[in-house]
Amino acid sequence: MTEPRDELAAVPDIIDTDGGEDFSAFATSRWPGLVRLAFGLTGDRWLAEDIAQTALARAYVAWRRVSQADDPDAYLHRILVNASNRRFRRRRVTEQPGDPPETPVEGPADLVGERAALLAALHQLPPRQRAVVVLRYWQDLTDAQIAATLGCSPGTVRSQLSRALAKLRESPALGEGDDR
Amino acid sequence: MTATEDRELRRTLHSTLGSVQPPPVPLEAIIRRGKGIRLRRAGAAIGAMGLAGVIAVASLALHGSQRPTVPPAAPAITAGPDGVFASGTADGHPWRLALQNIADPGYPCLPGVTINGAYADWVYPDPGSKGVVGLGPALPGFGFGFIQLPADINGVIVNGRHNVPAVTVAACGDRYHIVGFAYSLAEPLRVTVTNPPPGWSRAITMPAVSTQPPGPATTTETPGLWINTDSASREAPYQTLASGAQPGGQGWIIKVQLGTGGECYEFDAPGPLGSAQMGYCGPVSTPDGPEIIMALPLGFPSGTGATGYAVQVSPRTARVKAVLSNGSSELAALRVVDGRKYAAFIVPDPLRLSRLIWLDARGRVIATTTALPQYGYVQFHP
Repeated sequence: MTEPRDELAAVPDIIDTDGGEDFSAFATSRWPGLVRLAFGLTGDRWLAEDIAQTALARAYVAWRRVSQADDPDAYLHRILVNASNRRFRRRRVTEQPGDPPETPVEGPADLVGERAALLAALHQLPPRQRAVVVLRYWQDLTDAQIAATLGCSPGTVRSQLSRALAKLRESPALGEGDDR
Repeated sequence: MTATEDRELRRTLHSTLGSVQPPPVPLEAIIRRGKGIRLRRAGAAIGAMGLAGVIAVASLALHGSQRPTVPPAAPAITAGPDGVFASGTADGHPWRLALQNIADPGYPCLPGVTINGAYADWVYPDPGSKGVVGLGPALPGFGFGFIQLPADINGVIVNGRHNVPAVTVAACGDRYHIVGFAYSLAEPLRVTVTNPPPGWSRAITMPAVSTQPPGPATTTETPGLWINTDSASREAPYQTLASGAQPGGQGWIIKVQLGTGGECYEFDAPGPLGSAQMGYCGPVSTPDGPEIIMALPLGFPSGTGATGYAVQVSPRTARVKAVLSNGSSELAALRVVDGRKYAAFIVPDPLRLSRLIWLDARGRVIATTTALPQYGYVQFHP
């Protein structure tokens, strides 16, 4: 499986961050979605905000490249997922992965239990599988779009998704098939 | 996976992630972090060049009406020892932009654009590089900017009505073709050139002045924090200010990086549960400017964990004494990085920093303050 590459490695040293107003508008409009996406990837509210900041900061550095991309959002998602993966790789060296997230989940009691269960289940997945699930079911991306975001093939996306869903089926988060 | 499972997972995920209510976008922090990323990506040694020789001075005056009076004539070329390349008054307050050595006396020359001699933006010859700064409550409502121009651009037009000439200034052995101006923040800043050379557009996009807190309406300008956009990257590498071990044996290190994005500090404490880290960027002070007291709490925002402190001190400071909340104190040794002197130390949790005392070489108190930050920085005039 191809490891995600660092987008910034390809950014030329001559970096133009002109168009500050455009970037501000872009960042403002994307911020809520990025935080939520990062929360899905990490299960940690503070970490999610930090990763969303990192992603937008990297987009700021490569603003010319991002703004001229065919799909700036895809570019941004890729930065964010890679930032999340890098964070995970750094943490797992010394931490025991697999603990459920401690972030409190707010809402009605039944929803709280459901959401907490889903977050815990997602947290049990390896980062790549978790990313595939979130990108598919939260971002509604296609296999090809997910593959482009993760820097892998569509076939890898499908296999990762299949493995992830098999694990998630063991979680109460998926319910028992009742249409609520 | 069944269609029901598929639908259920989608619904639950949307419910879970949709319930997250993000705070307002921290735009200033994002841009500051972006600058930090840019700085880290391009390493370059700081030039150790000779002392500056100033070639030129141009002036621009702003008065209470916020209407600058600028002669649209050829640049006034004046040699001067202080490197001023633009000056005037705004709302009755004098201002000046200068290109000067911002290193402490006796250390290799470090070129920076300064506003009123107090806050610096480290620069290097790079046409297209530009920066803006505000002075906060000291002069609200005004911004100050500079642009490095190619040699064949003689000046710029600010907001369509003020011709501001460019001048050539030398600092630290390099020549800069540069224009400086003040402007009112009450209207959008528009900077244009009359005959742009190839590769340049008529309009020059300027960054926005940094504000506190980030946001448009009720904010004030962040005093002295230059927002710089460069067309090339250059930075000094992170350098260690201090390191040691906490009472529990956990190691720590405080580092600083002087770059075009300001002065960025980092406090790292690798431990058995992973590396804790906190970073923050603040204004670059000059030898004659205010001192920056930076607090880097590892546990922010939870409030637990050690806090790293770094202080960029004046040349005459020999020691900094930190008095903690339990009455104990410690002497922080100083370290010179890139020709600038710093003190750095940590305050273990749950202690807090109560007072800072500046001492000269004979142990005499230069200054003391209890106005200390818990997170981020404050500026202090000893």
